Amino acid sequence: MSELKYAELLQLNRDLGRQLGGAPHRIRVLSNVVVNTLKEGLELTLRQRGLNAEVEFGDYDNIVQGSAESASARAVIVMMDAANLAPNLQTRAPLLDGREIDAIIDRARAEIDLVLANLSQAPLVIWNSYSPLLYSAGALQPNALDTICDALNAHLRAQTQANLLAVAFDRVIAQTGVAQAFDSRYFYSSRAPYSQPFLFRYAGHIAPAILAAAGFAKKVLVFDCDNTLWNGILGEDGEHGIRMSDETRDGAPFAEVQRIAFDLRRRGVLLAICSRNNPEEVDRVLAHHPDMVLRDADFAIKKVNWNDKVSNLREIAAELNLGLDSLVFVDDSEFELDFVREQLPGVELIRVPHDRYRYPGVLREAQGMFFTLTKTAEDAGKTEMYRQEAARKAGAAKFASLDDYLRSLELALTIHVNDPALVPRLAQLTQKTNQFNLTTRRYTETEMRALLDDPHYSVLAFRVKDKFGDYGITGLAIAAPTAEPATARLDTFLMSCRVLGRGVEKAFFDRLILLLGRRGIQRIEAEYLKTAKNAQVVSFYDTLGFTRANADLARTAYTLTVADYRASNIDYVEIEEQHGRAG
Amino acid sequence: MEERVKQVMAMVFGIDVKDIGANAAPGTIEAWDSMRHMNLVIALEEEFGVRFGEDQIEQLISLPLICLTLRELTAQA
Repeated sequence: MSELKYAELLQLNRDLGRQLGGAPHRIRVLSNVVVNTLKEGLELTLRQRGLNAEVEFGDYDNIVQGSAESASARAVIVMMDAANLAPNLQTRAPLLDGREIDAIIDRARAEIDLVLANLSQAPLVIWNSYSPLLYSAGALQPNALDTICDALNAHLRAQTQANLLAVAFDRVIAQTGVAQAFDSRYFYSSRAPYSQPFLFRYAGHIAPAILAAAGFAKKVLVFDCDNTLWNGILGEDGEHGIRMSDETRDGAPFAEVQRIAFDLRRRGVLLAICSRNNPEEVDRVLAHHPDMVLRDADFAIKKVNWNDKVSNLREIAAELNLGLDSLVFVDDSEFELDFVREQLPGVELIRVPHDRYRYPGVLREAQGMFFTLTKTAEDAGKTEMYRQEAARKAGAAKFASLDDYLRSLELALTIHVNDPALVPRLAQLTQKTNQFNLTTRRYTETEMRALLDDPHYSVLAFRVKDKFGDYGITGLAIAAPTAEPATARLDTFLMSCRVLGRGVEKAFFDRLILLLGRRGIQRIEAEYLKTAKNAQVVSFYDTLGFTRANADLARTAYTLTVADYRASNIDYVEIEEQHGRAG
Repeated sequence: MEERVKQVMAMVFGIDVKDIGANAAPGTIEAWDSMRHMNLVIALEEEFGVRFGEDQIEQLISLPLICLTLRELTAQA
């Protein structure tokens, strides 16, 4: 895979999707940062394993809201990056006081609870642990961002919801290295911190969980014996000549392999033997050899005979009543493996590496194929954590509804009316906003300044803050004059997706109507101009109570009588006005 | 160079090379949205062994502009 160029990988992903066909396995990503290239990485990884995955994204930074709409997804991935828990937290955290930090932690904990409750019916929820690594890898001492991450990770680990897999994000970062994982080029412009190679690595890391939840997990680990369970050849070296002891250099890797296999068995994986040997000799080793970790009772089935391995593997699958695609077969002979590969393409193969010291690593890597989401009491081992968590929950507020949650944010809008200081930002908003944009009219700074200078126009922008930070100037409406008396035309209405899903557009619209009414406007004309990207606002004016004047494929025209406007009266958004020039 | 860029665009957007006109841009290629733009940038960087600056990424919004930017970058090298 790594020899292919990126463009070729994209092509391969599309081709595999077509070949696999069938109903796609829908995976939904809820994220507070932009992780677009995860789509290709994850789809490709899963499609190469035979699962026709289709990755889709919830709205940017709308994890809570998006979790309520993810019912039909087969897996949900939650990527709540520490840097965006509050605006620019990566550098703001050390500047906050203890109360502010606690507030951020409390809110994020409540969000975790709410999102998990919303996703309780999802087959699988993958949640990344919180990591400050990308933003403070070189720091000698922990700072407030570490404190926040630690608290949230403790909260995450204490969750008992059966469908939840908390992924140690630091581990994936470690695999690529911080410098390779973080791409600061897209961080400031698009809030996309992770590099493409990192997201592909992440896809490989979580793929076993998704495959397992889709029924693709392997169930049986089948070992050859000579040079596979132990070093040496039993028929030639004899019972005392084979090596699998930690005390010997060339036996130690085999001891480790046996322990890895034993751990897998403890977690429910079936072990089997498929070997060309004398059965009595192998039985003697399994019963008596002092260095064996695995014993006879650990193997669900043994095929020790002089038959070919293809027939033996077929029998193993048949006797266990499993498909051949449930089997992973480990052997040291490329010749044997080739034969199996040709005859039984469903069987996953592992070749014992020529360098024996690599063998435990290869097997450790392969453990992912047997992944199951069941949590044993052993891996729990977190009684103390449960106790603390229960104590905390008793005291902490929980949100009963989305409205409660939004109310807790203490959202505040500042509406800037005709403020010439904002010209560069307003022009930029018209250039960059594609999704929540009713007309997608682009303006240069010069054009924007002219509109602000024209007393017949009203240019209203808003800034959004909540108790955790400032999202900046993120919305714009431009009301233009018309030939009709007391009538304004909404030339532009847009909002950055940074502040979606909080109801601020409706609160803003209430005030917009009020302000226009104050200026003597009695009737408003508006329009929706369809583009490839603004489908999410196709019925925005309908929901606000506008009347459709006429419509064709590309354009819907609306009118509204100001006196008939029914305000949304959103009570959880505080509004204040700031006026630039009069008018 | 233009042909190589077209080749990359065809693979990134999943379209035929001959459907990519001399002035291809997001307006003329439906699959060219902001999400796939990132893919295009990654694929171009790999194909031509260059790294675009943050400002340059925003300018890569048509076939001629891409070729122009690539020529600048490869001339410097």
